[in-house]
Amino acid sequence: MKLTLPPGLSPQNFDAAVKALQGAVGADWVMTTDQDRDAYADIYAPGPETLWGSSGAVAPQSVEEIQAVVKIANQYKLPLWTVARGKNLGYGTAAPRMPGCMVLDLGRMNKIHELDATLGYAVLEPGVGFIDLYEEIQRRKLPLMMSVPGNGWGSVLGNALDHGIGYTPYGLHATKLCGMEVVLGTGDLVRTGLGAMEKNHAWNLFPFGYGPTWDLMFSQSNLGIVTKAGLWIMPEPETSLELVFDIPNAEDIGWVVDTLTPLKLRGVVDQSIFIPSWLGKMVIKGQRKDFWDKPSAIPDWRVAELLKEHKLGYWQVALRLYGDENIVKAQAEVVKAAFKKNLAIPPIENWWRQGDPTHVMDTTLGVPSAIPLQMGDWVGGRSAHMGFSPVVPATGAHVLGQMKRSRKIISDHDVDFYASFTIGGRFCNNVNMLMYDRDKPEQIETMKKLFDALIVDAKASGYGEYRTHLGWMDGVMDTYDFNDHAFRKMNEKVKDALDPNGILSPGKQGIWPTAYAGQRGKALA
Amino acid sequence: MSRARTLLGAVALATLALSLSACEVKNKTDNAAANQAGPPAGGPPPLPPYQMRAQIGDGDRLKPSATGEALFSNHCGACHLAAGMGTNLITAQQVAAGQPPEKGLLVNRDDLTADYVKAVVRNGKLAMPRQTRVDITDAELDKVAAFLGKGK
Repeated sequence: MKLTLPPGLSPQNFDAAVKALQGAVGADWVMTTDQDRDAYADIYAPGPETLWGSSGAVAPQSVEEIQAVVKIANQYKLPLWTVARGKNLGYGTAAPRMPGCMVLDLGRMNKIHELDATLGYAVLEPGVGFIDLYEEIQRRKLPLMMSVPGNGWGSVLGNALDHGIGYTPYGLHATKLCGMEVVLGTGDLVRTGLGAMEKNHAWNLFPFGYGPTWDLMFSQSNLGIVTKAGLWIMPEPETSLELVFDIPNAEDIGWVVDTLTPLKLRGVVDQSIFIPSWLGKMVIKGQRKDFWDKPSAIPDWRVAELLKEHKLGYWQVALRLYGDENIVKAQAEVVKAAFKKNLAIPPIENWWRQGDPTHVMDTTLGVPSAIPLQMGDWVGGRSAHMGFSPVVPATGAHVLGQMKRSRKIISDHDVDFYASFTIGGRFCNNVNMLMYDRDKPEQIETMKKLFDALIVDAKASGYGEYRTHLGWMDGVMDTYDFNDHAFRKMNEKVKDALDPNGILSPGKQGIWPTAYAGQRGKALA
Repeated sequence: MSRARTLLGAVALATLALSLSACEVKNKTDNAAANQAGPPAGGPPPLPPYQMRAQIGDGDRLKPSATGEALFSNHCGACHLAAGMGTNLITAQQVAAGQPPEKGLLVNRDDLTADYVKAVVRNGKLAMPRQTRVDITDAELDKVAAFLGKGK
């Protein structure tokens, strides 16, 4: 990809900034060839990758180097786009919201500073991947069980900071962050929570600070660069029991959620309960063309055939209980009794006990894997996906309403319906997976129109997205419109105060600094 | 759809490494019972355990001292060890092309050249994303490409 300069930066000043960065981190860690820019592009881009093209990438290895990079960025007005490992697939990968940003790749910041099995926490740098942390826990034989997302290739902190979700009782990853070290846009280094005190022993254990508690302002945020953070990790349970219920019909999701939410709120079920539709099981069985050889959406009659052929329900609840055996057994009885009211067939039961082997796809037992990304192969070619992800109250009425509306819109666009609901507490994250072949422009156009229609419909019905791709960051922020967008305006005031030159990730989540306010609404999908 | 079933059938029977359908396996297998009695007859083979990658020390990544094999395991292992995402997809491609399923593992291939490995790593291919020089440095990639590049 050819060089795109950031707004307002001359080629001469760009070259001078690159030289200064080379002096700060070493010439080999400032990457500005066309090939480097390609490598940092959004490989799943819904449209030309150049829409979100970077000017290159810089990869510091220490807090001091990050501070030096930030100083140079301020001096030359070179905007940075911070990524942890840059594997945010479906949301923009490593690519910047504003073209011309230099990607600040923290992949070399990969130290595990603390890993404590007694109190169940780690202190990590952003370059530590789920796989790195998992392997370190295994090597040290620590009785800890991680919570991992669908894509285990990415960064532990990056995922938590972007509000990623997993499937264990610790599945709301952002809520497990505790105590952060952050470089601000001015280059100042701060620690949040009790870490504001030099050498405080409880920094990564107590969830608040003395005074206002700022930690999550650095999540889905461009207000600072998180250089390390505490993360709570679940003590490995004595046992775990998986109860697998196949749920026959699409509309059954209503009673399923009304059955599960009370169990979740009462603490009978601790985990974030992931409920994928049938397509989530089919995508790993082969390619779409093996099951439906037309470009049009798979019709209902064919879906019914496929469910029968492959002995699948429309939904599958693979619920997991974690804990001491006697407690898990008692919880299981409560769960089974609750399901029996609507489903005659008892669940399949899979016990795991400490010391039992886990396999490569045991994501609900904290094993990281990239295999869920295989779903892309469903459409074939250079496949990609995006998720339309509104949050709905965890009641059958809300979930059914959202499903019926989004299903109709998706069907009207002649696209296959592939949804999941994850009950994280009093809410569900509803992810509608949209898959496309990057070499088929007509597919991409359909997905873009569909995505727009879904956002408009959800907003009109009172629901918003929890996370989105670069190309819709402004659009989704626009849907948060209470009191004339007062929330965005507050964020932008804070942004200008902490980062006067606006050099940190301008436009992230639709928050624009004054310095680049003219870029709002540009480079949309 | 019968062609699809035949192809899938062939693939499913072919290998441990292609045990894609975790849920089927889990549904039919009580772990504790399986440990004592082995997998049930006639079902798909159980999924293999997680494959640990080789550990690489803290040395200078611009002058790596580890072997190409260790570097491959560490930097490519997230997808290209047994039952990894890349292995699963390549196994299906290789089987469809009439090759034995073990050719899904890149270490078993004898038709890769060093230049081809480098090109795919930097340019990506199908589901494989381009790798940055932080993912794998040029010096690390040289060693990995030499290790995998057994072809002529």
